Amino acid sequence: MNSPGWHRLFAKQLAAATSVAGTLDVPALAGLVGATYGEADRERRRTERAMDLMADEIERANAALERVVQDLRVQNLRFETAIENMSLGIAMYDADEILVVCNGRLNEVLSVPPGTIRAGMSFREVVAACMECGHFEGRTLDDAYAERRAILFGGDAPSIEESRIQRKVHVTTQPMPNGGWLFLFEDMTLRREAEERVAHMAWHDALTGLANRLKFDESLQEALVRGGRGEPCAVLCIDLDRFKIVNDTLGHPVGDALLRAAATRLRAMVRETDVVARLGGDEFAIVQRASNQPYDAIALAQRIVEDMSTVFDVEGHHINIGASVGIALAPNDGLTSALLLKSADLALYRAKSDGRGAWRFFEPEMDLRMQARRALELDMRRALVRQEFEVFYQPLIDVESRGVLGFEALVRWRHPERGMVSPGEFIPLAEETGLIVPLGAWVMRRACEDAAPWPDGITVAVNVSSVQFRNPAIVDTVSEALALSGLPAERLEIEVTESIMLHDNVATLAILHRLRRLGVSISMDDFGTGYSSLSYLRSFPFDKIKIDQSFVQDLNKTKGSGEIISAIIGLGASLGMRTIAEGVETHEQLAKLRSGGCREAQGYLFGQPMPIAQALALIASGAPSGVQADAPLQLAQATR
Amino acid sequence: MIVEELAWEEATGWGKAGKIGDTAGLVLYFGATATLADGARHAELCEAFPRAQVIGCSTGGQIDTHGLTDTRVTAVALRFEDTPLRLATVCIDHADDSRACGATLGRHLSAPDLAGVFMLSDGLHVNGSELVAGISAALPAGVPVTGGLAGDGPDFRRTLVGAGTMPPAERRIAAVGFYGPAIRFGHGCGGGWDTFGPRRRISGAKGNVLHMLDDEPALDLYERYLGDEAAGLPGTALLFPLRIWDPARPEHDIVRTVLGIDREKRTMTFAGDVPEGWYAQLMHGRFGRLTQGAAEAAGSSAPAPGMAGDSLALLVSCIGRRLLMGQHIEDEIEAVAERLALAGVSRRLGFYSYGEIGPHHVSGRCELMNQTMAVTTIAEVARA
Repeated sequence: MNSPGWHRLFAKQLAAATSVAGTLDVPALAGLVGATYGEADRERRRTERAMDLMADEIERANAALERVVQDLRVQNLRFETAIENMSLGIAMYDADEILVVCNGRLNEVLSVPPGTIRAGMSFREVVAACMECGHFEGRTLDDAYAERRAILFGGDAPSIEESRIQRKVHVTTQPMPNGGWLFLFEDMTLRREAEERVAHMAWHDALTGLANRLKFDESLQEALVRGGRGEPCAVLCIDLDRFKIVNDTLGHPVGDALLRAAATRLRAMVRETDVVARLGGDEFAIVQRASNQPYDAIALAQRIVEDMSTVFDVEGHHINIGASVGIALAPNDGLTSALLLKSADLALYRAKSDGRGAWRFFEPEMDLRMQARRALELDMRRALVRQEFEVFYQPLIDVESRGVLGFEALVRWRHPERGMVSPGEFIPLAEETGLIVPLGAWVMRRACEDAAPWPDGITVAVNVSSVQFRNPAIVDTVSEALALSGLPAERLEIEVTESIMLHDNVATLAILHRLRRLGVSISMDDFGTGYSSLSYLRSFPFDKIKIDQSFVQDLNKTKGSGEIISAIIGLGASLGMRTIAEGVETHEQLAKLRSGGCREAQGYLFGQPMPIAQALALIASGAPSGVQADAPLQLAQATR
Repeated sequence: MIVEELAWEEATGWGKAGKIGDTAGLVLYFGATATLADGARHAELCEAFPRAQVIGCSTGGQIDTHGLTDTRVTAVALRFEDTPLRLATVCIDHADDSRACGATLGRHLSAPDLAGVFMLSDGLHVNGSELVAGISAALPAGVPVTGGLAGDGPDFRRTLVGAGTMPPAERRIAAVGFYGPAIRFGHGCGGGWDTFGPRRRISGAKGNVLHMLDDEPALDLYERYLGDEAAGLPGTALLFPLRIWDPARPEHDIVRTVLGIDREKRTMTFAGDVPEGWYAQLMHGRFGRLTQGAAEAAGSSAPAPGMAGDSLALLVSCIGRRLLMGQHIEDEIEAVAERLALAGVSRRLGFYSYGEIGPHHVSGRCELMNQTMAVTTIAEVARA
């Protein structure tokens, strides 16, 4: 019982439900067939359920994926925004040298038009695009590509700095785990310029733009190192003469402008290898690298002295200054920069003390002299405190009566080790260092105190230095000395030299008039040795003219000395000024002076400068010992 | 080799006496748990074949040359011309001892001329993966181990293995070693299952106990997919086997079936390891594809031509296939029979198991498999 069209399973079920005898067990068959339907139903339901669940799951998975995609999109946007707003140019290449990430800043940093470098370009295309914009000049594309590739993809240097067109670009390279590379480009142009500015400020003088002391020292040291290799160099120290006067009278702005103008001139005078520096104030210095020494240094110094004495036109002012130059040569004058500079400074000092507007070389003995001066200066300061100074008195004599008219107060230094120190040795130094101001004030007080008890009519003459005249406080010093001592002003004579008239004539005259108003008389000392300008005598009515001792001593030797003395005496008489001759040592001189009309005299013939005790004794005896043999002296007051 | 087929039925018993009698070296038998439980069938066979090694087990359905039966005890007696045998047995207390038990068996059977091993194991108290790994490691490289885990129909309550003088009992594992140059083994296994649904990550597992898939209790997923059939768990879980694979070796995939569930802990116990971190994907079977998979396994197992005497095919197929295919299950047995017939193998014996043992179709390494049809052919070559 089988049919070809029947289902295989049904055929089996039919066979199973049929007995060996061929009887069909219909309920058994129905059970088998029913079970098959049941199985099929269950399988169908199972499949449908599985499909539905799977669809749900896929739906959920899709939703989750979409969320991830959305999150990634947001994240991407954030990253893009961050990258686009970075101050650095960024370029990320994959392992095949394709630019996969870059930002707009990259084009800016590399000085190429916006959009020139874009993601998707190969590294070679990027190099080519840069070349079109002027990068890697003088190279073929193949060369530039190979070179850039070696630099960036070589991995040798994690960072480099290079010039790209007009910018300084710092490139950081970072390999990535997948074989690609990340490059960060930073525009360093502004930072480097600022650094250069800062460096310039550190090494240069802000006012003149010249090298400053730091830079000068370094240049000098460098030159000395070269010098060690056989290239000689010179150091020139330059001081502007009379700059302080300009600064004081015309003000700092003009002073500054003058310094700038002087700097410009100095710079124009040197070669490129030389370094001009402003060390401070009106001090300049030059390191000159030149093989032909000392001649090149002399030539330069000469040029400086000449050029600086040419008038400066500064802000409407015609300014006449000058320059003094000190020169030191390596290696003779010093092997270190400090020593060399000190030597040049000493040379400058000498140039200035030799009358300014000059140049001088450093000489070893100059250094010794300077050391001695320095020691003397310190000694003098101590001496002022320890009261080692004394005042000696030299009599002034009436030529006719031989009476003592007064005394000139002269300072002496009784050094505890060196004995008496000559005023010629310490007065110039005191004037230079300003010590003359306290010393002069002390002498003024001392002299006034000593003279106060003298008989009426006996005067005391006190020298006042031109340095003291620069300060109007000299008037107070004099009036205080008079007040403290009780000395009547008409018994005090102030002796000044012609040099006071050289410095700020107007101010000097004002001081002279104020002194005159105190009641003191004023003498022109050392007349005939300096400028001896008649205009000085006309500008102020001096009470007395002191004829310099050189004329007196020449009376017997040089023809014409007598005439000069006569002329001075005549001049004084015509201006209403008394005259006194200094340095009278012989009777012959005295006779000639007398016959020439000289009324007063001073000198060893009548007495050397003497301590106050001797002066008092002389006053008491009535006549100086030097003239007693010839004609006894009397106190001048008797003749006046 | 001579093969004598035997069958026991309740009404008729073992039928006529065997011809090879005391010359048989090996007797294999398979029957339902209830039929074998009293030990009588085992004793009868031992008596009928006094010189043979007798081993057998309970099943989810027996296969013989006539097809599928749930009632008969099916058996074969084998007389080898030139193949010595050795039987090894072991009892297992706990699944954690599985590897050690495998190693014990392997050490007992290992010999330079060992040609192959056929193993039957308790199907519920064993981690099959560990058992196979243990015995394989103890054997010379390349020795095939085939066989399967005993079954208990769709009930998963009690599985029995009988061996030698020991009647069928739970927790027993038995293995027969075939020695010498004459014996030839052929083997093949196939599934035919199709994956469906999303790929899932094994996010919680320990040994062969699966806790979580994609951070969701695995049992929840199965219950959802089974719907009202979830009441039949763990048996109905066989309808949706799990394909698992190491992400680092995606081609080396393995199919796992459920042995038990824990409704409180929401876990599922599988016949082999489910390593955490591996991927898993649900599978489902279509009758035609499953049948085709079985046929391919048979084709792979075919012995080379020139065998002397009879040859035998041992079929071990998964209970899950039977649960799914219902009355269509005989399609796969017929398809295997047809393919074996083409290779000249006409005698068949086998059972529906809780796990199949054989070399992996890709790696060649012996493993526990699920939801497959594993076919082993045995034959002897002609005496030189």
